Amino acid sequence: MQEGKVLPAAQVNRDLLRSILETPRWFWPVVSLLGMIVLAAAVTIGIMVDRGLGITGLNYKVVWGFFITNFVFWIGISHAGVMLSAILRLAKAEWRRPATRAAEVLTIFSLMTAMIMPIIHTGRPWRILYWAFPYDFARGVWPNIRTPLVWDPSAILTYLTSSTLFVLIALVPDFAVLRDRTTGWPKIVYTMLAMGWEGNPRQWKLQIIAGVLLSALILPVFVSVHSIVSWDFGMAVAIKSWHSTVFAPYFVVGAVHSGVSAVVFAMILLRWAYGWQDYIRHEHIDALGRLLIVVATGWFYFLVMEIIFGIYGLEGDELAVRALQFLPGDHGVAYNVWMIVFVGITYFLPVILWLPKAWRRNLWIMSVACISVNVGMWLERYLLFVPGQANKQFQTFTWNDYLPQWPEALIVGATFAFVSMLMLLFSRVFPLVPLYDIKEGDILKTEMQIGRRTVPATFRED
Amino acid sequence: MAMQGIMGMLRNAMPAASAKHTVLGVFSDAESAATAGDELKSAGIPDTDYDFLTDSPYPEGSLGERDEPHRLYLYPFIGALLGLSSGIMITAMTQVAYPLVTGGKPVLSLPPMAIVCYEGTMLGAILFTVIGIVFESRLPKFDLGLYDNRITQGFLGLRVKAEPEQSREVVQIMNAAGAVDVKTDQ
Amino acid sequence: MASEAHAQPGPGHDHDAHGVASPGHDSHEHGHFGPEMWVIPERSELVSGVVQRQQEGSSLLRWVFIVGGILTILGIVGFVLKLVTVGFSDHNDWGFYVAAFAFVFTLSASAPLAACAFRFTKSHWRRPLTRIAEVFSVVSIVNILLFIPALIALPEIGVMTESGEEMVRRSIWFQELSNPSGWLMASMIGLVFCSLSILWLSAMPDMAQSRSMMTGFRASLYARLAGGWYGTKRQWQIQKGGLAILGGLYFMLVVFVQFLIVSDFAMAMIPGWKDSILPPFYTVISFQGGLAAILLTAYALRRWGGYREYMGQAPFWAASKVLLGLTLLHTYHLFAFFITYWYGRLEVEQAILNYLMFKSYIGIFWAQLFFTFFIPFPILVSNHARREGWGAPLAAVFILIGLMLFHIRIFAAAFAAAPADLHGLYYLPSDAFSFPALLLPPPGATFPDLWDIFMLLGGVGIVLFLLRVALMVLPPLCLWEMKEGSMYQRVDTLIRGRYLVLAKPE
Repeated sequence: MQEGKVLPAAQVNRDLLRSILETPRWFWPVVSLLGMIVLAAAVTIGIMVDRGLGITGLNYKVVWGFFITNFVFWIGISHAGVMLSAILRLAKAEWRRPATRAAEVLTIFSLMTAMIMPIIHTGRPWRILYWAFPYDFARGVWPNIRTPLVWDPSAILTYLTSSTLFVLIALVPDFAVLRDRTTGWPKIVYTMLAMGWEGNPRQWKLQIIAGVLLSALILPVFVSVHSIVSWDFGMAVAIKSWHSTVFAPYFVVGAVHSGVSAVVFAMILLRWAYGWQDYIRHEHIDALGRLLIVVATGWFYFLVMEIIFGIYGLEGDELAVRALQFLPGDHGVAYNVWMIVFVGITYFLPVILWLPKAWRRNLWIMSVACISVNVGMWLERYLLFVPGQANKQFQTFTWNDYLPQWPEALIVGATFAFVSMLMLLFSRVFPLVPLYDIKEGDILKTEMQIGRRTVPATFRED
Repeated sequence: MAMQGIMGMLRNAMPAASAKHTVLGVFSDAESAATAGDELKSAGIPDTDYDFLTDSPYPEGSLGERDEPHRLYLYPFIGALLGLSSGIMITAMTQVAYPLVTGGKPVLSLPPMAIVCYEGTMLGAILFTVIGIVFESRLPKFDLGLYDNRITQGFLGLRVKAEPEQSREVVQIMNAAGAVDVKTDQ
Repeated sequence: MASEAHAQPGPGHDHDAHGVASPGHDSHEHGHFGPEMWVIPERSELVSGVVQRQQEGSSLLRWVFIVGGILTILGIVGFVLKLVTVGFSDHNDWGFYVAAFAFVFTLSASAPLAACAFRFTKSHWRRPLTRIAEVFSVVSIVNILLFIPALIALPEIGVMTESGEEMVRRSIWFQELSNPSGWLMASMIGLVFCSLSILWLSAMPDMAQSRSMMTGFRASLYARLAGGWYGTKRQWQIQKGGLAILGGLYFMLVVFVQFLIVSDFAMAMIPGWKDSILPPFYTVISFQGGLAAILLTAYALRRWGGYREYMGQAPFWAASKVLLGLTLLHTYHLFAFFITYWYGRLEVEQAILNYLMFKSYIGIFWAQLFFTFFIPFPILVSNHARREGWGAPLAAVFILIGLMLFHIRIFAAAFAAAPADLHGLYYLPSDAFSFPALLLPPPGATFPDLWDIFMLLGGVGIVLFLLRVALMVLPPLCLWEMKEGSMYQRVDTLIRGRYLVLAKPE
């Protein structure tokens, strides 16, 4: 599983710091374009705050639409970071090394983007402050902690803080490399960030323990975040199809599915953009593809459980929602067609593409599969949330459908530009592949002669 | 314990008041650096007086370096306790201060409190772990001391604090072991 | 003979960084671990040594045989007397039997999966554990027999009342089948067949190698089962591919059959219980129990069975992390169920919570939670306990007790939840508005009679007994996999330290 050759440390520095020490010609035009899209979305948000949520497609019956779908989608993407970094670190998987930092950084930016969604969705963003935080000493009005809408900020802020610290701690040794390779004001900044790191055995020992300890501590947080997001829906009894006990693990596994796919696609892009062929190799993409088959199948199992036990009760209200989801009807939006598309592109198409080893090593095919998963997972959330609200409920006589309007479409589209822009800017100032982790992998690499074959091997401390 | 960490940090932040000389050998390979370490030990220099400086972690003990005891494992427990206490206080006090019954649930409902307290516990544990990592690594260190930029290019540094009368011998050991460069602070 | 390590690093070692050492003779001298962490047996001695130990047996295995046999006989006596005294007319009487059956099923179906999963992840530390996991397949044969009375005791899905109205109970079969027993049995037979196929395919090279060393029944059995095995490259490739495919199929089958069992024999038996997390929860607790059983068996064989020279602490150190993960996942699934029902506050949900957790079965619920989480969790969190090798087996003992309590709480409680008359089970939860009986306080806990206790003990006994029988036929170590491991693992020098080196050929 180790196809790469051992590279001199100087070359590792040169290659992996290329994104920081040199600026590719495409960099600023691309960042500017993404920035303009984000700016357009920011202006739209301003208009929305000024004129109210009436300019969106949200209505009395369907109150959670594109924004909440997008919120859950980005929370899902954020799960890739810890999944890859923490689990693979704890499992001591050698192939994790080039992927961890990009995954962790994607976590942070996805979380930040996700948080924007419910805030602007409220229509009165400033009120979030006293809905979620106990600050209003003057009026004696305190948040209601019995609602998942308060559990959510507590979990997301914990996750965001933890992930950010996790990334920063692991960046310290790389800051030291940058400190030694730069001049002028960047050197001053990197010197401050490196905090006097010198790379003695004590520092390295603590750095290694930190990776394991923080991984073990963040993993339960990672599971809790998407579980709590799922409970935003699962706690509600009023909307049939939402009140399902399996939501928590179903959401977590779905998040890992979309998140890891997103990381694979990001890695392929980075390899192409910065010429990191020696670091992000086919073996890494192959291993992630194998992992994704397992994750996707787990997700599919939970999907089946969710559907079977939705129908199991044979309750009229619930059956009506399921009919809306699965059967052709006389309403305007053909949810059932989207359902077929969603299951096809989220599970069957990508898994078929991941099964042959040769296809897992083909970066084009992997890109298609990973994009397919993410389009599918976005649809999944939409089809999970909207039909339940659109359907007529017990003792509720309104029936309304949902058609997103341009502000929602623009803002949702811009979130992709926002995350891409942040990732690019990050790669401009910080290394997206951990230098010391790659170098450590090279130190531990060895070979074993078995008969006529030389087998790659690794030194292990435990 | 945390106090010790803070004191350690302050100690390291201050310029060394020791009369010892510092010698830094720069080596191009780990074997030479380890040989120099062995020779220093043979010359009677305590292993607490020298450190290997590297650009990536080597497996523990691979350079023949001393063991480094630490107390990092205590930090998350302290943080978790503080986080849990804060969580309990926030959830209980806010609900008692504003006793609005919602959804037919008790004002002090343990399951939701448990969720927020859990997040508080984990946040506390993680924050303190990070603080612990910084303190136990003896960071921040404002004065880097004798250092060489080549260390982050794959070279290994061996930095020795030696009595003035020993520093010449240390330099000789470094050179004999194959150092590509030897620096002193004198 | 096995190589063992010395504890402390020190100067004066070879300076051959990345050098090649002969397998089996090195010692792991790095200071992290004691001498028994990594044990890499000699390839040449492995087969004869293990076969010799297997033939010699041990007092531990004799005791397992005797105790398992006695408990099994007790179980059979309990079953016969229960049948004679109450018959199958009322499903309420058979809850503890179903709990005992499900316990045996859970353990024997989940344990072999560990071998498949760890092979899939290519973990070297798995090697001393895989055969122990696979021999649970032999235990699973009895599932087919035990399943028959459980199927007879299971109430039908639809019945006709005297007035001619058809009354149905909820079921994952959605009223399409009045009696799904045939399908349930077919899936169980498929599962057992798949499980035995994995064992056979995996054990074939070992049987072929050791047939000449065996005598009597074992020699002829090995000759028949592994007659065509010569160890050609093609055979090894087919075996490897076959194990991977069967492993994947087995995983899907286990999860599917567990879904069927827990849905039909637990959820459907409690009116109003609609719980989509129950099948995954059951799967997680089954994996937890299966791994616990493997680790406990492995520890017993290592400690008292004479296999210390072939099994270090490393398998326990590594597998205990997986056990810790499963322990946490178990509690997570339980909380996800609880919070959804607690928050929903539907009357039927409150009734189920009160029945299974907070009123009727409160004692057994907390006892189970302590045994499956609160006690094993701190043990498994402790690095020291895990590293020394005793942490995981100790936690496993508690987990297995908790697993039995879980089965009693879920299956025995489910069978006792509703009376066996037309109004007990044959109403849908939405009928609660028109049928207030569903909203009555839940019934109290049911207690086992003497025959029930015999049957529960028999469940434990049959696992022990069949495990011992299986270990008479097959050695507890997967010899070809252990030899392969010796080829790909060694202890070597890196600058001044001695470390484990693991080769990954794929």
